[in-house]
Amino acid sequence: MTLRLGLGVFSMQSVPQRPDHYVKLYRDLLEDAELAEALGFDSIWLSEHHFWFDGYCPADIAAAGAILGRTKRLGVGTAVMLLPMHSVEKVAGDAVTIGRLGEGRLSLGVALGYRDAEFDGFGVQRKDRGKLMDSMLPRLASACRTADPAVPLYVGVASAVAARRAGRLGLPLFADSTMNPAELREMLRAYDDAASAAGVVPPSSHALQRDVFVTDDRERDWARLLPELRYMRRQYGGWSFPQAPGESMQDYLSRLESDIEAKLRNLIIGDRTEVAERLREFASLGFDLIVCRSQFGNLPRDLFHSAVEGLGRVRAEVTP
Amino acid sequence: MKLGLGPIPLHGTTRRHLVELAAAAVEGSFDSVWVAESRAQGVGGGLAAAAFLAQVVPIRVGALVDVGDYHPLHMAEDIAIADLTSEGKLEVLLRGGSDEHLEVLVAALSGAHLRLDGLEFHVPARLDANQPVPDRLALNPRPAQPVVPIWVLQRDGALARDLGLGLASVWSEDISVPAATGRVPGMLLCQAGIDPRDLLRAAGESAGYFLVAATTPPEVAASGKRLVGPLRMPGFPEWINAQ
Repeated sequence: MTLRLGLGVFSMQSVPQRPDHYVKLYRDLLEDAELAEALGFDSIWLSEHHFWFDGYCPADIAAAGAILGRTKRLGVGTAVMLLPMHSVEKVAGDAVTIGRLGEGRLSLGVALGYRDAEFDGFGVQRKDRGKLMDSMLPRLASACRTADPAVPLYVGVASAVAARRAGRLGLPLFADSTMNPAELREMLRAYDDAASAAGVVPPSSHALQRDVFVTDDRERDWARLLPELRYMRRQYGGWSFPQAPGESMQDYLSRLESDIEAKLRNLIIGDRTEVAERLREFASLGFDLIVCRSQFGNLPRDLFHSAVEGLGRVRAEVTP
Repeated sequence: MKLGLGPIPLHGTTRRHLVELAAAAVEGSFDSVWVAESRAQGVGGGLAAAAFLAQVVPIRVGALVDVGDYHPLHMAEDIAIADLTSEGKLEVLLRGGSDEHLEVLVAALSGAHLRLDGLEFHVPARLDANQPVPDRLALNPRPAQPVVPIWVLQRDGALARDLGLGLASVWSEDISVPAATGRVPGMLLCQAGIDPRDLLRAAGESAGYFLVAATTPPEVAASGKRLVGPLRMPGFPEWINAQ
């Protein structure tokens, strides 16, 4: 199994600690895509959320179209598109066209989504998301398989339940960055069992997203990185675990804080050798594509570029 | 007068063909190059394809897109991101869709904090099962341009005027360029080979926008050469094109 490294996930947020005009954020994205291509990365990946104050990218296929126009070799993927909020015919129609213009370089990662306000904006009940996914995934998989060129389709998962859904269809996984190795093993077992029960031949490997930061001076960069990571994790945590009815703000913030601390422990940070070793460990679980997230919100450009260049050296080491 | 190439159908179009036509449009001095999706044939991605084209050519890019098959907020988001990645070079031609689709789309692109309750759409829906959720929402990010130029194809003018959308029609022998709505000129979609005198007659005193559907690079070059002078330059001597 050859390990491929992707760069991601990009969300083009104008964060409060470093607000930028969106034209600049998308210009940066296109420049970063050129850098990723020059450094030999397999692909670049885009994230999606809606109606958020910092402008989190809401339309990743449109952004993917721009990257495919700018680059010649680099793959471009969605990590992940929140499928139940979309029309499956719309997604399929977009993917087939952009996959062809990109000469086979487009991949789709799709997942459930979880933020109530986003579902509500599109008139969808969040509680229907599983049923919607069950009905949409086979249709999207069929459209992606028969497209010319075919569009690789991954199912974003953060739990065994979601892995079983993908397993029944034999679709490869795009595993969430917050799962530790034990959770990943359990999820892969659930996936294989579901595939076997459904009588489908599962793919031999899957994709994994990890938060990764390559640095030669861990202490120096950690001080700059921590506020950015905390912003990102507080945002995702707030969406995933909203304040419960009757819960005091103090209790809620304390619960959120515990989640943030747990997620921060999953970050892979270190020099080239340390990071390469950790990535190989994850690859050995059954992941042939690891999408390394080194962009957390809107990092200072010098910090981000230094990490990406370091990651480029890791890539040269793990995927010669 | 403005002159656009297209809309180039995306059905079966390869990168190479699209890039060749787009390069020919630049060589031919067109103002813009357009693509067309056809959702009825399962061909989407018009706005993403325009975002693709904007990385290939220095001129403006446009997309003919079908309205009505999916939520107008998704279309507004696609328009915003295609316009941002192109740094404000996007133009859009809408085909089909209900009045309410257009109203939601335009309201979303304005950046307003929306709360719309129509027959088709409640934005946000404020469904019981989703509570608590905000009772308004806003498209974010907004497009790069203060107002993305948008036309509607073959529609009654009243709603378009109310919403600040341009009017577009398909060329026929006896047609005039649709009246401008606000600052947006009327648009006519024509085939390659059309006589520039016919377009000037159709335009009358209007500052029209003509989209010319040429299908090969030589055809694009010939169209540009034949049309650009007469349409853009008042008093352009006819003997030059006759040579």
